[in-house]
Amino acid sequence: MSLIKISGLKKSFQGTEVIKGLDFTLEKEKCIALLGPNGAGKTTILRILSGLMKPTEGDITFTEAKKGEDIRDFIGYLPQFPVFYDWMSGLEFLSYVGKLAGLTGKEAKERSLELLELVGIIDAKNRKTAKYSGGMKQRLGIAQALIHRPKLIMLDEPVSALDPIGRREVLDLLEELRKETTILFSTHILSDAEEVCDEILFLHNGKIVESGTMTDLRERHQQAKIDLFFRGKAEKYANFLSNHELTQSVRIEGNKVSVFVKDVSLARRAFLQAIAEQNWPLEKFEVSSMTLEDVFMKVVGK
Amino acid sequence: MSQWMTLLQKEILEMWRNFKWIWVPITFILLGVKEPLSSYYLPQILDAVGGLPEGAVIKLPTPTAAEVLITGLGQYTTLGVLIIVLTTMGIISGERKSGVAAMILVKPVSFQSFVSAKWAGSVLLMWFSFFIGYLSTWYYTGLLFDWIPFIQFLQSFFFYALWLTVILTVTIFFSSSFVNSGMAGFLSLVVVIVLSLVSSTLSNWLEWSPAQLTNYANEVLLDNGIPEDTLPASLIAAVFINVLLSLSVFIFRKKELAQ
Amino acid sequence: MDTLANYLPIIAPILIIQLILLIVAIFDLVRIEKTNGPKWLWVIIILFINIIGPILYFVIGRKSN
Repeated sequence: MSLIKISGLKKSFQGTEVIKGLDFTLEKEKCIALLGPNGAGKTTILRILSGLMKPTEGDITFTEAKKGEDIRDFIGYLPQFPVFYDWMSGLEFLSYVGKLAGLTGKEAKERSLELLELVGIIDAKNRKTAKYSGGMKQRLGIAQALIHRPKLIMLDEPVSALDPIGRREVLDLLEELRKETTILFSTHILSDAEEVCDEILFLHNGKIVESGTMTDLRERHQQAKIDLFFRGKAEKYANFLSNHELTQSVRIEGNKVSVFVKDVSLARRAFLQAIAEQNWPLEKFEVSSMTLEDVFMKVVGK
Repeated sequence: MSQWMTLLQKEILEMWRNFKWIWVPITFILLGVKEPLSSYYLPQILDAVGGLPEGAVIKLPTPTAAEVLITGLGQYTTLGVLIIVLTTMGIISGERKSGVAAMILVKPVSFQSFVSAKWAGSVLLMWFSFFIGYLSTWYYTGLLFDWIPFIQFLQSFFFYALWLTVILTVTIFFSSSFVNSGMAGFLSLVVVIVLSLVSSTLSNWLEWSPAQLTNYANEVLLDNGIPEDTLPASLIAAVFINVLLSLSVFIFRKKELAQ
Repeated sequence: MDTLANYLPIIAPILIIQLILLIVAIFDLVRIEKTNGPKWLWVIIILFINIIGPILYFVIGRKSN
């Protein structure tokens, strides 16, 4: 079941096209990561979907929304840097947005307390939001996105501003939430996307360059890979490896060379032989499958 | 309607938390009692300063109660307007700049309610402050000079308040059009000054201008009755307020909330 | 003394609301996180500039968000 359909979505700022034609569908009760480097257009997409920005071209259709219905009823949104009325307490702010979203005063308060408990800042419920730390603001931001039980919640880089502990807690919270709603969250951190989500949309220069579930992606990009770890810089050995007839491409990172090859068993034999002959200081030799990072680097063409 | 009330309640609560409900009325009272007190005590003040040569006879005609009230009201068209503009200019632009407007407007909140509730909150504060400020002018003038009939006080209050509401709405309009509060305040003052100047220099042609309402209020106090141009001027003021408010909503909706 | 007794009922209410204004301004200044300009300067302005000081503080000294 699809929840939201996006077709031909484009957005320009002062003549520069930032989003260059997107088509995708979000399925119900899935967790989807919008993954891409900084400047790929992640924030812009989320802002358009939340109604804060208008697309230059294209359509966004909420499958369940009747004609003329406010799609903001279905959406919860957490911006990258959430801000609140600093003279309100966390509880007051939540109750306020709850009432704005159509809850009665009593419902809003109950729901607010429930959410403050869920995101773990119930102890600070009566403290002014001006006194909240960055992590607490992020949690309050998640709580306010959930207040009206939206069908879709969109989170813009929910963990990038947090310390490792806060990040862990928010990721665990997302794991919880995905049981109840559809989550679309943007991140530039591969492991976060891999950990929480079923599906990944790779965004690069305003376009979706690849998408699918983790398994899909692995299958589609399956390519034998051999990682060689050397003592010292790996560059001087890379030349030989990249000119080898079995090699398709090579990536160097410090003392590691990743070689994508056509045939693993042939390549393994050939490489090991060469290494032994030339007495290279090899520390580790690994035949591995592609990681998300490899797929990412491959699709963005690096 | 209940959403609009929620928005209005938030405005009212905010004005409690930042003490606007206390300091704006007090400021208006102090502004209002200045004129009757200083006119009444002027001879004593001059005496105490003692700057006059021996034997000089000070002949100050005692102003009438109506004159004192009119001069007192004049305070609100200058310092009063300044305070209204300065306290209102950031009401929408400030929330947009900080990003909190975006937090609120991703919820199913109507833009019209968002703007009009802010307008209503500011109008309440302004009418309340101006009422008790002007009431104290009236009271002190009565105490120290002569009592002006209360009905004339009420009539002149209403005409003045209507003009001040026009000014406030102009400020709300600029506040929803610009992210920079200072710019919004500056433009509001420019518009108000131009409107007042044009209306007073061309008063023969612009009898229906809302800016003339202050003169009509003065006429009421001078016991000349309500001038017949008051009704059209008030109606034009009401239409102007409505149009400006709709324009504010229109512009605010067109602007993207995130840059 | 006679004149003072005459003035007092007239002046006293005004002095009282001035005092309220001053107290509220100081109370707010103590609780607020940040002001435009240094806090101590605002203390001086509020306390020593009669009437205008507290009003000035509320209009331009307060900083929110």
